[in-house]
Amino acid sequence: MNFTLLVVVLLTAIAFVGVVVALSRAISPRSYNEQKFEAYECGIPTRGKSWMQFRVGYYLFAILFLMFDIETVFLFPWAVTMHTLGIQGLLGILFFFIILCLGLAYAWRKGALEWK
Amino acid sequence: MEVTKKPKIKSIPYEEFIDNESLEKLVEELNAGGANVMVGVLDDLVNWGRSNSLWPLTFATSCCGIEFMALGAARYDMARFGFEVARASPRQADMIMVCGTITNKMAPVLKRLYDQMPDPKYVIAVGGCAVSGGPFKKSYHVVNGVDKILPVDVYIPGCPPRPEAFYYGMMQLQRKVKIEKFFGGTNRKEKKPENF
Amino acid sequence: MENILFIDPTTLHDEMLRLRNEKQMDFLESLTGMDWGVADEKDTPETLRGLGVVYHLESTVTGERFTLRTATTNREKPEIPSVSDIWKIADFYEREVYDYYGIVFVGHPDMRRLFLRNDWSGYPMRKDNDPEKENPLRMDNEETFDTTKEIKLNPDGSIKNKETLLFGDEEYVVNIGPQHPATHGVMRFRVSLEGEMIRKIDANCGYIHRGIEKMNESLTYPQTLALTDRLDYLGAHQNRHALCMCIEKAMGVEVSERVQYIRTIMDELQRIDSHLLFYACLAMDLGALTAFFYGFREREMLLDIFEETCGGRLIMNYNTIGGVQSDLHPNFVKRVKEFIPYMRNIIHEYHDIFTGNIIAQERLKGVGVISKEEAISFGCTGGTGRASGWACDVRKRMPYGVYNKVDFKEILYTEGDSFARYMVRMDEIMESLKIIEQLIDNIPEGSYQEKMKPIIRVPEGSYYAAVEGSRGEFGVFLESHGDKTPYRLHYRSTGLPLVAAIDTVCRGTKIADLIAIGGTLDYVVPDIDR
Repeated sequence: MNFTLLVVVLLTAIAFVGVVVALSRAISPRSYNEQKFEAYECGIPTRGKSWMQFRVGYYLFAILFLMFDIETVFLFPWAVTMHTLGIQGLLGILFFFIILCLGLAYAWRKGALEWK
Repeated sequence: MEVTKKPKIKSIPYEEFIDNESLEKLVEELNAGGANVMVGVLDDLVNWGRSNSLWPLTFATSCCGIEFMALGAARYDMARFGFEVARASPRQADMIMVCGTITNKMAPVLKRLYDQMPDPKYVIAVGGCAVSGGPFKKSYHVVNGVDKILPVDVYIPGCPPRPEAFYYGMMQLQRKVKIEKFFGGTNRKEKKPENF
Repeated sequence: MENILFIDPTTLHDEMLRLRNEKQMDFLESLTGMDWGVADEKDTPETLRGLGVVYHLESTVTGERFTLRTATTNREKPEIPSVSDIWKIADFYEREVYDYYGIVFVGHPDMRRLFLRNDWSGYPMRKDNDPEKENPLRMDNEETFDTTKEIKLNPDGSIKNKETLLFGDEEYVVNIGPQHPATHGVMRFRVSLEGEMIRKIDANCGYIHRGIEKMNESLTYPQTLALTDRLDYLGAHQNRHALCMCIEKAMGVEVSERVQYIRTIMDELQRIDSHLLFYACLAMDLGALTAFFYGFREREMLLDIFEETCGGRLIMNYNTIGGVQSDLHPNFVKRVKEFIPYMRNIIHEYHDIFTGNIIAQERLKGVGVISKEEAISFGCTGGTGRASGWACDVRKRMPYGVYNKVDFKEILYTEGDSFARYMVRMDEIMESLKIIEQLIDNIPEGSYQEKMKPIIRVPEGSYYAAVEGSRGEFGVFLESHGDKTPYRLHYRSTGLPLVAAIDTVCRGTKIADLIAIGGTLDYVVPDIDR
């Protein structure tokens, strides 16, 4: 395995980002006033506190998305090496897939996919 | 060493601009302290980059706002100048084009938006109402000119100004940015106050 | 000259209820606050004095129109019964009158100022008030209150102010604030949110309140024309047409046939211009930026036509009292005749890219339904009213110009959702093209301006004229006492009923729907704030 290219790419990426941020920090002007540290709400001062009770709907959507995203991440390597794995691999991934489909059917029936 | 800067835009001849005197006066004032050649070249580079990508804040109160939108549309294309990325949030904007009348109720909002913008920032007063109160000068609820609350860089008169007039004003701003002394001038860093 | 009935404030509410139920006066067209001054020794018994209100009512069933007025001479604490339980739009209209004159409406659920700051002292439209003296420019943000006063009557007849809550302490209130790309101007919505769902909206207007109505009282009649273009700038021709019509009606001036044709054609071109901008901005708000460029491309062609004849693109200063400012340019007819088939050919692009798109349909269909009764009670005229099934087109109800000679359909949809409001306006573009086509070849010869006296004086009396603006019925109410300047010049705004309806329509919808509803209601804020 030729690691030289990988190392060069990694170093270039880090250097690129680091140099640009450092340069802009060094030469940019800086000023302070009270409004810069307040939240922006279309020009009006904010009202009340923002740490409110969370709506559980956001959490459910996020978790469902994460689950199916990870499922896709697992499907990709199988799809690439499909031929070498053969029937055994197909059965394994099918089992994995069916479990997740059952989870999706449950969420659908329970109404977690609707936004309420 | 004296660095002579000439505020030039590539496509328009220098003589076509009606107001060259105020810019030349600015150059004289800036050169009073003298400047290094190296810094002068770097200045030119940074200013060239800055002047060709000034991002406006979408701030339109009344009729001039529609001409501002027409500026972004296909015929008078704002993107040629680098201005098409109109940011909605002042934290990401370079300049604020005050299009439209500013009323007494809106004045603190505008001041707050201006304060929330990061340096270096510029203000263009567009239209008769922002320049001096316009047709509504006698009203009890209109601020007679936005320069009563903000420091203005360019004034564009008209009611509403044609898009070509907008461009004239924006090019004047570009020239003003080009002659600025970046390292040592615009580049100042304030000391952080104690109670932050 | 209008025939106005006077009703005593004590019997006002019962009388209004009777008119609403027996005569089916379900449309409160306009509510105007007035200050008729203090009693003078030269008064006759008929002279009306005091602070009061003028109501214009209309029945959508029979078409009958009524004008009423009431007044109270108490200037320290003027009180008039509220009619906000009869017509929902009276809620906002009475707040406006309270803001300008200080009249407290008994029974009003939410008595706050509408346009001016909370800490404004004085009532600017009163004849004895100098607004600038007590109100310098205050640069601190005004304090926003979460409570408001509800005016109730005690059993013994005195007024009780009950404090009601606008927003509770535990509610999460966000400003969709004055500076926002999608509010179509400077309108501040205070939105109480629960997750993504909207619980309540409170609209704060007044950020572009330029005091036009107060300025009008010190300008001569030709000077007042200049400000109308800047009200609803996308209906500039139509606004000025309304004011010129009102003054000409009052003076008894008949404009020539040629002027009528020119005014009608210009109005229709302005309507197409406004609907193209509606389409462009709605698409941009929903995220379809390509449609924005399409709309503006056609709009530029129209603006070229306007500029050749009128001299301006947006603010045109074309109509004058007695005619138009200058005759049509020789190229006008040719260019309009080129534009009509071009627009007909190109409109399919608009529908291809936006109307049939599944995303646009999902975001617009079924969103923000306004029923017909609500639309009438709120007075939402224009495309919004017609999308809910209310035939409110002023061109058919009270024809003016040459509309009675043209054959055109009034576009009505019954669903009342955002998609219907959108389709109404797209179909109206085609109807406007049809109207212009029928008129453009037959413009009669004649003078373009009647000879008027150098100083224009309007005879004493009250006059009302309305036109179908791009956004609804734009009315002008003029009361004159025979001077060079109007005594009271009030504009019936097209947008204020639409904003008043937003709270009712948006409860239970999501924030993204609020943007779609605001975009389809199509209000322009300087018209609301005047």
